[in-house]
Amino acid sequence: MRAPVSRRFVRLLAALGLAGALLLPALAAPARAADEKLVLRAGTDQKIKSLNPYAAVVVAEYEAFTLNYDLLVNFGENNEPVPGFAASWTQSADGNTWTFKIQPGLKWSDGKAATSEDARWTYQTMLDAVAKEVTLVSGYLDGYLPAAGVTSVTAPDPETLVVTTEFPSTLVLYVYAPILPKHVWEKVPFDDIASGAYTNPPPVVGTGPYQAVETKEGNFTRFMKNPNWRGSALGADEVILTTFASSDTMVQALRNGEIDYARGIAPDQFNSLKGQPNIVAVEGASNGYTELAFNCYSRNGGVIEGGGASTKALQDPAFRDALGYAIDKEELVAKTLAGYGEPGSTIVPPFHARWHVPPASPRTFDIEKAKSLLDAAGYKLDAGGKRLDKEGKPITLRLTWPDSEAENGTDAQFIAAWFEPLGIKVDASVTEEGQLIDQLLPPEGEGKAQFDMFIWGWVGDPDPNSLLKFFLAAEIGVSSDSFYENPKYDELYDAQRKESDEAKRRELLTQMQELIYVEAPYHVLYYDSQLDAYRTDRFTNWKNQPAANGTPLFGQGSFGYWGLGAVAVPTPTPAATAAPAPSGEPTPAPSSSGGSGTGGGDSTPLLVGILVAVLVVAGIVLALVFRRRQAGGEEE
Amino acid sequence: MEPAPRGSPPAHGATVRSRYFLRQVAQAILTVAFIVLVNFVLFRMMPGSPERILLGRNPNVSAEALQQTKERWGLDKPLIPDQFVSYVVATVQGDLGFSFVYRGKPVTQVLAERVGPTLLLFGLGELIAIFVGLAIGAYSGWRRGGPVDYVGNGISLILYSMPYFLIGMGLLVIFATALGWFPTYGMVTPGATYDSVGEHAADILAHLALPLATVAIGLIGQYSILMRASVIETMNDDYITTARAKGLTGGRILRHHALPNAMLPAVTLIAVNLGYVVAGAITAEKVFNWPGLGTLTVEALEARDFPVLQGVFLLLSISVVAANLVADLIYGVLDPRVRT
Repeated sequence: MRAPVSRRFVRLLAALGLAGALLLPALAAPARAADEKLVLRAGTDQKIKSLNPYAAVVVAEYEAFTLNYDLLVNFGENNEPVPGFAASWTQSADGNTWTFKIQPGLKWSDGKAATSEDARWTYQTMLDAVAKEVTLVSGYLDGYLPAAGVTSVTAPDPETLVVTTEFPSTLVLYVYAPILPKHVWEKVPFDDIASGAYTNPPPVVGTGPYQAVETKEGNFTRFMKNPNWRGSALGADEVILTTFASSDTMVQALRNGEIDYARGIAPDQFNSLKGQPNIVAVEGASNGYTELAFNCYSRNGGVIEGGGASTKALQDPAFRDALGYAIDKEELVAKTLAGYGEPGSTIVPPFHARWHVPPASPRTFDIEKAKSLLDAAGYKLDAGGKRLDKEGKPITLRLTWPDSEAENGTDAQFIAAWFEPLGIKVDASVTEEGQLIDQLLPPEGEGKAQFDMFIWGWVGDPDPNSLLKFFLAAEIGVSSDSFYENPKYDELYDAQRKESDEAKRRELLTQMQELIYVEAPYHVLYYDSQLDAYRTDRFTNWKNQPAANGTPLFGQGSFGYWGLGAVAVPTPTPAATAAPAPSGEPTPAPSSSGGSGTGGGDSTPLLVGILVAVLVVAGIVLALVFRRRQAGGEEE
Repeated sequence: MEPAPRGSPPAHGATVRSRYFLRQVAQAILTVAFIVLVNFVLFRMMPGSPERILLGRNPNVSAEALQQTKERWGLDKPLIPDQFVSYVVATVQGDLGFSFVYRGKPVTQVLAERVGPTLLLFGLGELIAIFVGLAIGAYSGWRRGGPVDYVGNGISLILYSMPYFLIGMGLLVIFATALGWFPTYGMVTPGATYDSVGEHAADILAHLALPLATVAIGLIGQYSILMRASVIETMNDDYITTARAKGLTGGRILRHHALPNAMLPAVTLIAVNLGYVVAGAITAEKVFNWPGLGTLTVEALEARDFPVLQGVFLLLSISVVAANLVADLIYGVLDPRVRT
């Protein structure tokens, strides 16, 4: 009785064919709505968690607020100060008063006039927070005004802003904080701004080139061109910053033409993109470094109850210096970074062309020299080949790194192998990042400094000042994670931050870099490059920032977006959606929920609908296949 | 196994069944309560202070800032009873608190945005895997040694042992990059505007195709293997031999005698797996940038976002326990042996 089986099979095929026919139009329709507007789509692996600029932690969030807003002074092609919210500025003879002229006729994106009062209000809010000792959300923007020594701001007239400092400092021009619209933000209680409860929901009002109109936190944020943009015509009508969980997918999307810019690509993907048609792979110098850090805690003899370093040798600069000869930085760049980086030297990266000064006598990779230096410093080998410290104990160093930086594990393996012939055993293991933060705290930060060495990294600001703080005695318990202490260094730091003569300041920074290099609380391993890629078939005139060795986007300020031009206007297809014309008043598209027919909106009801529809179709298919079994009670 | 004896008095059967039902429900509720308690304590036992992470791992924070942050988020009160009591009271009222990471956003909203996509992707993926997997498995077991057995089972085994990442990237490279049939990432085209619900649905479906294929392909294996083994075992039972001896056709035996009994283990597996649908598939979500609960959980773990973690695990435990409850009950209906 074989007929029933084949008949049922045929029926099944027919049912599936019917289902397929029903679904096919949905699949055949082009997935992307053809746009008459030109959208710049950039991908990154970082998340934009909030549009409140004070909540900014990662580069993508900084990028978001420099799109939304102007800084008082923007950054130009080589990170030099250029007009932003302020069109020009002068410094008084004694250097302690800066007078800024606001851009004439400047308007917020909602049409209201933008004046010095907005700048005054913004800076005053930040100064108030410092005075009240309240941190503004994540606290990354809090330090810029105090670092510049700003004491007060006034707005004598709508076009003038006067900033007073307690010492002459050019850092006033490097305050990386956005100017916010007073008429929007003054309605928000200060506590909500400071706690981050106020997320600055779209549509955002700003004077920057693009304002956020839609955001799905952790997914993507969409910005529309500022109708009142004061600069020259912007090439893109919209900008979308998308978060990718997997950089492999991001690279595929770039190849596919689904995004125009990809930030943060792995070296092997970078290599595969070189030479691809319409794609440029760009290697940018990094404003930061990766370091091997030592626990140099020396207070109370270096003794910490229940923690601390495993040997006093770590407090000895001669010991740390000797170890530096057992690190082959070129090898690390070649193996860990696949060649995309520079061997490390001083704590001011070469990115800062004006301030980086190479060390007077750089170390070489020389294991024999390391051994002899250790001997000379009083660290002898015992009979079993183990290196002993001055207390007679064999030296075993713990080495760790955060799980968020997988490449540091590769570095750790190399370092452990290089220290072994010195007679020093290295115990290397990874630590979960959240836990590591606590583990590195000294008693001054309510911790026990449970480590000997670790590998981590820092990212800098346009001015190197922020990278110099980590070695101050006052920062132990705050940002210092090596607990290095040297009054000479503290003196130099104070002098350089008040020095506005560039040549003199460079001389001070030279001494500081040299001091840290020689005494080595850190061995700077390398300056890793930033690997990005972008397409050239929709946008042209991509400009690197800095020009010589930067990347076009995700730099300092919104410079990279100003000059972009369109390659070709996409021809609208007949199925084009009637997108609201971007010219004229800003059409604030609704953000998350509500809003039928505009934007993604809240898709949950739709998703449920799709699920139900598919189930219904499946149910019909099955019913068709099995329905004829009702009749016929055969005896069983 | 013969059908239930028809001689049992209905009244007695009904009381037994409802007592069984009530017992199972009570157990389920207690389990959820216990899980909730354990989850609360477990997360807060993780090393690493959330207040530092809340401040964006900013090394420049002062002790005052940390204390402020602790107070703001209620982390300075003692764990038990203060924090726990306020947690329980709020949860019972449906207030799951505010996310640490997505500041100012209620946890219920954070979860609501991700539940839909997860159910769509993983739920549909499971259903497809169930139907296709059971069909392949049943036929393979029925015609053991035949071509469908070798080919179907072999392939599904291979695919089952491949990680989602591999399947997903493979499909991506072939169908999205090389052929351009489907988009590469996300659930919708970012920033697209739609004229009609139909267009929006079409956009979602186009984005859904590859991740759905990935999840379904990855899951088929477990059902086909189980079903195959179950059918083979059932085929050896005495009553099947009896049915054959009575002269029933192969197809009839399969559908009316073998399958109903072979389905029993599958029912349990299906119910349990459907309970875990809410957990999402982290690697599949990562590959396709699908905004699901899996990636949310991982991010919340790294960021010590206790409210979101508690919310996710509450959702997950309710889902799993409920699914298990349903499985027990269905099993009780299907197989009267367990009811007493």
